[in-house]
Amino acid sequence: MKNDRKRTFLLITIPILALFVCFNTIPLIRGVVYSFTNFRGFGKYDWVGFRNYMDLFTDARVGKSYWFTIKLAVVTTIVVNVLSLILALGLNSKIRAKGFFRGAYFLPNILGSLVVGYIFNYFFTYIIPALADMTGIKSLSTSILSSPSKAWIGVMIVCAWQAIAMNTIIYISGLQTVPEDVYEAGGLDGATGWKQFKHLTFPLIIPFFSINMVLSVKNFLMVFDQIVALTKGGPSQSTESISYLIYNNGVSGGQFGFQSANAVVFFIVIVIISVAQMKFSSSKEEQL
Amino acid sequence: MKGKKAKCAGLALCCTAAAFSLAGCGSNADDGKIQIEIVQYKPEAANYFETVEEAFNATHDNIHLTISSPNDAMTILKTRFIREDYPDIIGIGGDINYSYFVDAEILTDISDYEGLKNINSGYLDIAESLELVPTDGTYIVPYVANAAGVLYNRDMFAEHNWEIPETWDEMLQLCEAIKAEGILPFYFGFKDTWTCLAPWNAMAVELAPADTAKQVNRGETTFTDQYRELAEKYMQLLPYGPDDPFAYGYNDACTAFARGESAMYPIGSYATPQILSVNPDLNIDSFVMPASNVKEDRTLNSGIDLGFCIMDGCENKEAAYEVLDFLLADENLQKYIDDQNAVPCKNGEFKLASMLDGMLSFIEEGNMTDYQDHYYPSEMSVDALLQTFLIEKDVDNFLEIFDTNWQRYNRDIIRMVQDYEQSH
Repeated sequence: MKNDRKRTFLLITIPILALFVCFNTIPLIRGVVYSFTNFRGFGKYDWVGFRNYMDLFTDARVGKSYWFTIKLAVVTTIVVNVLSLILALGLNSKIRAKGFFRGAYFLPNILGSLVVGYIFNYFFTYIIPALADMTGIKSLSTSILSSPSKAWIGVMIVCAWQAIAMNTIIYISGLQTVPEDVYEAGGLDGATGWKQFKHLTFPLIIPFFSINMVLSVKNFLMVFDQIVALTKGGPSQSTESISYLIYNNGVSGGQFGFQSANAVVFFIVIVIISVAQMKFSSSKEEQL
Repeated sequence: MKGKKAKCAGLALCCTAAAFSLAGCGSNADDGKIQIEIVQYKPEAANYFETVEEAFNATHDNIHLTISSPNDAMTILKTRFIREDYPDIIGIGGDINYSYFVDAEILTDISDYEGLKNINSGYLDIAESLELVPTDGTYIVPYVANAAGVLYNRDMFAEHNWEIPETWDEMLQLCEAIKAEGILPFYFGFKDTWTCLAPWNAMAVELAPADTAKQVNRGETTFTDQYRELAEKYMQLLPYGPDDPFAYGYNDACTAFARGESAMYPIGSYATPQILSVNPDLNIDSFVMPASNVKEDRTLNSGIDLGFCIMDGCENKEAAYEVLDFLLADENLQKYIDDQNAVPCKNGEFKLASMLDGMLSFIEEGNMTDYQDHYYPSEMSVDALLQTFLIEKDVDNFLEIFDTNWQRYNRDIIRMVQDYEQSH
C-alpha cells in the first residue's frame, strides 16, 4: 500500500518535472552555452570563451542598467511596503464600507501593466505639466519622463501604484491571523498605538512581511512592462532596466550571445538576493 | 486505487503529449498547393498586403500565399530564426539587419531573377554597398524607397511668402523669420529616440561621406573627424523646436504638426499617412534639408524602405519568383505608392504623392544618398546616444562615445572587414 502511494506521487511528479526541465532547465542551459559565443540570434557564430563576461564588467551601459534597476527595486520596495502596510492597517480596522474600499484598492492589480503605463504616460506628459503651469510650480512644468535624472521617479510611481494592491491584500490576510486576545493581553500591560504595532502586530506578521519583501524585490528587479509603456529605456538610456536591456539588445539587437551572458549573471544575482532575504527574515520570525 | 492511479498517469501523459505536440504547430494542411509565406516588417501597410494576398490567391490555383505584417516584425523574425523557423520571403528594409542576414548566409542569391532588370540601378547599388564585405550575388529586390527631409505646411508658407531654403544659412534665416511671426518653426518628438535620427540622417548625407561607417571599419577615419560639423549644426536646430522636445513622442509630434502648431517637421515621407490621419485637409509638401552652404552639395536622403528577400530555406524558388512578379506588377506597386506615399524602386511611369513634389527633381535626377543609420548596428542604439547628446549638448563627449562604442559593438565586423582587406 505504501509503495503504491509513493508510486502515485512519483507519477504525478515526473510529468511536471519533465515539463519544468523542458521549458525551464534546458533553455537555461542553452542560454549558458550561448553566453560563450558571439551568436547574433541567427546564422553562423564563433566561440569567444569568456569575452562576453569580461565585456560585461567593462560595459558602461550594462553598469548603468544595474544601477538603475537596483535603485528602482530598493526604493520601490520600501515605498510599496510602507504604504501597503499602512493601508492594510486602515482596511483591517473597523471602518464603514470596508469591503468596498478593499475592492477599490485592489483594482490596480487587475489592470494590465501596459495599460496602466500608457495612462500614466499621458498623465505625466500632458496633465501634470498643465496643472503645474496653472499653479505655478516651476519644477513640474516639464514632463518628469523627459528628464534623465527624474524619469526613474515616474517609473517608480507607476510600479508602486500597481504593486501596492497585491501587497496590501497579503498584509490584510496577515493581520487577520493575529488573534484578538494578544491585543487584549498586551493592552493590560500598556501596549497601545505605536507600541502595540512595534511589539505585537509587526513581529507576528513577519512571515507576511518577508514574503512581501521577496516578491517586491524580485518583481522590481525584473521590471519590464512599465519601462516599455513609459520610457522605452530613455531619456538617454537612464531608465534601461536589466531585463529590458537583455530583451532589447539580445533579441531585436544582434547581441544574443552577449546578453545571454548578462542574463546568466543577472540570474545569479537574483538567486543570491532572494536567498539572503529569506535567510535574514526567517531568523527574525516569532511564533505564538 | 488502481483506477485512480491509471487516471493520474493518463492525465500526466496527456499533459506531456499536449506540450510536445505544440512544437508541431505551423505545418500546413496539405492540399497539393505550394505554400509561400511572406513576413513583412511594415505594419502600416498591412491593409495593402491583405488585399494583395487575396488578389493573388484568387488568381493562382497552384500557389497559396500568406502574408503577415506583425508589429515589431524584426523581433518576431529574429525570434523565429533562433528556432530555425524560416518564412519563404521576408520583406525588410535596407538597413544593418539586411547586412547581418547576408553575412549570416540565410538569404538566397536571386541574381537570376528576371524582375531585377526593371529595378532602378541606384537602389541595387545601395543594396550592394550594404553588404559588410563584398559578397557575390544579389539578395534583395528593392520594392519601395522612402525619403527624409523636411515636411512643411504648404498653406502656411504661401500665406507668409516664405521661400524654400537651399543653403544652411537660408535655413537658419527662414527659422528666424518663422519665429518672428510667433510660429514654432519645427516640431520634434525626441521622446521616441528613433526620431532623433531623422534630421541627423538628412543632414549627414551632405556633411559626411556616404560610406563613413565603412571607412571607419577599414580604419581610415574616425567619426570624430567626420561628424563634428554635423553634430554642431544639429544643435543649432534645437532652439527652433518646442521647449521640451524630449517630452513628446512621434505621435505627439505628428499630431502637433497636423494641427498647424509648427510650420515644419523634419522627418521622412513615411510620416505623412500618420499626419493626414489627424488632419486630412493639411496641405503638406517637403524639401531636401540643406545642411551645407554649397547648393550643389544637396542630395536627397533616400534608402530602401522595403525590399523582398528569399530565404535560403525556401523550397520552391520558382513559386517565390511568381509571387515577386505579382508584387512588382505596375498596378500593385502603384497601389502601394498611393497608400503609403512611397517612392518606387522600379523604373517606369508612376504617379507620386503630392507631398513629394519638393523632392521630385532629385528623384528624377537620381541624386540620392542612403541613410547613414542603415550602417549603424541596432544594439549600439545610436538613436539613444543622439538623444543623450541633444540633452547634454556636449559635442566632444558625444563624438568620443560614438567612436569608442563603435569599436566595441563592431569588433567582429571590423575584424572581418580587415581580414577581407588583407586577403584581397
